[in-house]
Amino acid sequence: MTSDQHPMFSVSPSGTAPSVVARPAGAAANQHSLHIPHHSSEPLLLFEQVSKWYGSVLALNQVTLSLTGGITGLVGANGAGKSTLLRMANGQLKPTLGRVSVHGIDTWDWRARRLVGYCPDIDAFYEDLSGRRFVWVMARLCGYTRTESTRRTEAVLERVGMRDRADRKLRGYSKGMRQRVKLAQALLHDPELLILDEPLSGIDPIGRQELLEVFQSLAAQGKCLLISSHELEALEKLTNHVAIMARGRIAAVGTLPQIRELLDDHPLSVRIDVDRPRDLARLLLAVPEVLSVDIGKAPEPIGLVVKARHPKQFFQTFSRLVVEHQLEVRRLEPLDESVHDILGYLLGGSGKT
Amino acid sequence: MAAHTDNLLRYRPWRGKPHGPLYASVAMARVSLLLMVRRRLLWGLFALGLLVFFFFFYAQYLVVWITNQLATETVRFAGIPVTIGNLTKFFDRLALNGTAHTFGNFIWYQGYVLVILLALAGSVLVGNDFFHGSLPFYLSKPIGRWHYVLGKCLAIGVFVNLLVTLPAIGLWVEAGVLYDWQTYYLDNFDLLLGILGYGLVLTITLSLLVVATAVWVRRAVPMVMIWMGLFVFLRMLGDQLGREVDPRWRLIDLWNSLYLCGLSCLGAEHVTIRPTPQPEYWEAWMMVGTVCGVCLLYLRRRVQAVEIVS
Repeated sequence: MTSDQHPMFSVSPSGTAPSVVARPAGAAANQHSLHIPHHSSEPLLLFEQVSKWYGSVLALNQVTLSLTGGITGLVGANGAGKSTLLRMANGQLKPTLGRVSVHGIDTWDWRARRLVGYCPDIDAFYEDLSGRRFVWVMARLCGYTRTESTRRTEAVLERVGMRDRADRKLRGYSKGMRQRVKLAQALLHDPELLILDEPLSGIDPIGRQELLEVFQSLAAQGKCLLISSHELEALEKLTNHVAIMARGRIAAVGTLPQIRELLDDHPLSVRIDVDRPRDLARLLLAVPEVLSVDIGKAPEPIGLVVKARHPKQFFQTFSRLVVEHQLEVRRLEPLDESVHDILGYLLGGSGKT
Repeated sequence: MAAHTDNLLRYRPWRGKPHGPLYASVAMARVSLLLMVRRRLLWGLFALGLLVFFFFFYAQYLVVWITNQLATETVRFAGIPVTIGNLTKFFDRLALNGTAHTFGNFIWYQGYVLVILLALAGSVLVGNDFFHGSLPFYLSKPIGRWHYVLGKCLAIGVFVNLLVTLPAIGLWVEAGVLYDWQTYYLDNFDLLLGILGYGLVLTITLSLLVVATAVWVRRAVPMVMIWMGLFVFLRMLGDQLGREVDPRWRLIDLWNSLYLCGLSCLGAEHVTIRPTPQPEYWEAWMMVGTVCGVCLLYLRRRVQAVEIVS
């Protein structure tokens, strides 16, 4: 997915993509630091040099991050600090050092939570209540009148596809139904910022697609979504704008191509299907950014796999060569630009989360 | 915001403004009560509390009826003639005559049921939120941590008043009907205020104590053990030491201290309090105040540090 396919780009009211500014702490992070201008002067969610200790364990290490809109995926290995970061964004945790604010209001202050909807990863409900009753109670806690609570409850239940199943007791719900109810209660007060911790966990493929569409429509309405997920393929369908966490730091943040471009140590692999592969291979070997070219084996040697440094320059040169030599490119596919691959490069190992 | 709401939730514009977090505390109390009334055991305890009330209710009626109608007659027990008035002697300890001690005694005995009920309610109302991890749902809404505590205290307060204050008011009303109601209600209006005061003291103290202990131990069994220690073991110890060493030792019996505060609200003479000797009223108030203060300090410490770490 290229940057112009990013859902956030297509839905942004101002037509500008950027939604995140991050200044990762530490030398490693600085290498991948991105500064993307945003369309609003005031950040919606702002982490300022935030650190969090659990006893002697450092969960977050001087994280600075700001979000202004769109969908941002939060990925990282287990124990990287994702959930801690999300809980701080919602005021469930207090930073040991630094400050977290939503529109300038400290997230530890209850007023900030009028702007934030939170869908936690746990699903410990009052099992005796029905889904409808649970969501209604949550609406009352938001301060709505009885009538308004009922209307909002019905609206959000319909939104997450639970209206016809909401009268059953929560103890009889499947994992997917619980996820939907959790999402419903997070949407009740129409928050500007929606924080979702593993929202796709346990949901079947059809339900997952439905929820992805809900997330996209929310972003299209100008909401800011921060989604933590281990479901990298699903996350990629939703957004290619990610914040990658490692060992309590923001290792990188931005769109996937932007992050990938910064990974100079790991050459980009690109598969190219072209009408004259041998000619193209010869041309590419003369390009300084190209490290190697593999030609597909007989009997149909039509594909090349090229490894190149500095993807931006490589693609510029490649485009020029294609035009100059009138090559017919049938397919151009980066092989290691997925979240999974980038995560693997950043964190070492396979990138499995 | 309104426009977003319309798009998102697809209903007509809502022009209202959400209430503040105090309103949410009331909503939280309501759902807590809802959770409690679904438990049969608590209905059983309520029934037991109702039995205590009916005992006082009918005994008060019986004493007045016997005194008025049959006081001069005698009946024979095993051939021994006994004045009817003497048959009601065993009620004297309960002072079923519409005085301060009537209501004080009623609340004292109702306390046995109340303590058991609250020990069980604490883990359901508060402990489960911590133990099962449902707290993030509450605290992700626009309420503060103190509003959460207030909501739970309100729910507990409802139990206390349903079980203690309301029935005591019922006894006061009954006493007025049994005696000369015009004179009784006017002369003993301060008793009504005293009942309300006693109820308030119980509500504040017990709700803080329930929330504090439930936040501390979270589960039902340890909670019951701690409450039994507070209200049974310390009571026995306080009673023993109060008789043999110093009456101030009775202060460690929290229920007795609350009883003294209640009698002080009801305007009972200190010398009429049984068993004797008893510490002074002001000492009991100090003790109850200290317990509330300790609970508040503990809750403050815990509430400020309530962080959702799974």
